[in-house]
Amino acid sequence: MEQSVPELMARLDSLESSLSMATTINSEVFYWWCTALMLAIHAGFLAYEMGASRAKNALASGMKNLIAFAFLIPAFYYVGWWIYLAFPTGFSIADGSAAGLPWSANMGPNLTDNASGIFYAAFTLFAATTASIMSGSVIERIRISGFTILALFLGAVVWVFGASWGWHPDGWLTTEWGLHDVGAAGCVHTIAGFFTLGVLINLGPRIGRFNADGSVNNIDGHNMPMSLIGLMLIVMGFFGFLGGCIIYTGDMWTTIYNTPATLSAFAFNTLMGVAGGMIGAYLVTRDPFWMMSGALIGVISSAPALDLYYPGFAFLVSFAGGCIMPKLNDILVGKFKIDDAVGAVAVHGFGGVWGLIASGIFASGYPNIAGPEISFVGQLSSAVVFMILGFVPGYALSFVLKMVGLLRVTDKAELAGLDKAEVPVSAYPESSVPAAFTNDPTSPTPAE
Amino acid sequence: MNTAPITSWEGAEAYFTFADKPALLVLFTLVGIGVCIWTIASMASHENKAYKDM
Repeated sequence: MEQSVPELMARLDSLESSLSMATTINSEVFYWWCTALMLAIHAGFLAYEMGASRAKNALASGMKNLIAFAFLIPAFYYVGWWIYLAFPTGFSIADGSAAGLPWSANMGPNLTDNASGIFYAAFTLFAATTASIMSGSVIERIRISGFTILALFLGAVVWVFGASWGWHPDGWLTTEWGLHDVGAAGCVHTIAGFFTLGVLINLGPRIGRFNADGSVNNIDGHNMPMSLIGLMLIVMGFFGFLGGCIIYTGDMWTTIYNTPATLSAFAFNTLMGVAGGMIGAYLVTRDPFWMMSGALIGVISSAPALDLYYPGFAFLVSFAGGCIMPKLNDILVGKFKIDDAVGAVAVHGFGGVWGLIASGIFASGYPNIAGPEISFVGQLSSAVVFMILGFVPGYALSFVLKMVGLLRVTDKAELAGLDKAEVPVSAYPESSVPAAFTNDPTSPTPAE
Repeated sequence: MNTAPITSWEGAEAYFTFADKPALLVLFTLVGIGVCIWTIASMASHENKAYKDM
């Protein structure tokens, strides 16, 4: 059947329009599922931290995760998204950032904007993840009110500056120093880890953690199996997090820095990183908790160059991270008397620094689109910026909270168990903790 | 109460409730922030009472 040229042109226009909408919807669908998968990180932190707590503190520890998640969602909507759009060049406000203000036409259902909502969603889950990184370290003695304030500041303000500076196509750490950190090892993990360090210094150790002679007592959690499952859920959620770190443009994938990439590259290096970290941590600790923490260390170690590494090499970088970070944690606890209940400062803070240093050594020379090529000096300098950006606000705010009595629970509450003070329900209402699990040498084991 | 900023879907862009009333959007923002601050304050107050009662 013959068709006229105008008819053919109309059909072509219609096809192009359909293709464009299909691309738009594909992008929305991709980030929707990444956001959903990132919820596994929060289920994971919940299980991991409750398991790492003594039974008397289990629910209070869990509550912190639920609260961080719940409060970060509106906080990022009201404040965080605007900060990300506004400050890529430092402290001056960028053009176009008004689109991130909560009363802007882009911050709600809008038929001409299929992007703001899903990117806000993915970033909000990044923000909640960042705040959750802190929550494990401070269990069993932090006030939930003080924790919430710290989590809001870390998750809706501090890391967002880091992201604007270093995980943004126009971020000054890239345009000036060539920073390349596709998996957000610096702006999420390093910042969160060093913020946590600042908090831990003011918070102080749990009662009974350190003896007068400086020796360290282990304070075992009440449910290691729950912690292991939680850590595995976090690894699963990482696929959502890292999926959210790659940009779908419609005709190709790019990193946040607009350099070409593939999801396949991320798949190779994420899995090899997980495995390398697990194996390294197992080698140096034999401890299943640290083995699973090693999985996180492994991902973080390879994260800055997930798009670039030879997978066999990512395995080795992550293996090294898995070997080093548990030992760093031992030094933090044993030598510096920092009671980091779950090792987050080592895993995330120093793990992120290692990832940036490693990429500076082994991925230097790759070109950036807007900024100098990747270099050791650029990566290391950026790591220092992230360390300071995390530590100073964390220390300062926790110091203020300490001065006004909002940081730490009373000794009486700590000894009785935080659940009694913070939560109106009981974790294990129908049973006491079995004697076999109280480290009481006089009680028989189940086999006897 | 008519909260719709549109009367037709033809050419619609931002179509969420109150989208054509920025002053209200600002008000909702302030109320939302206030709700969160109030909840945190009540958390602190609850904790203080709980510690005292222990």
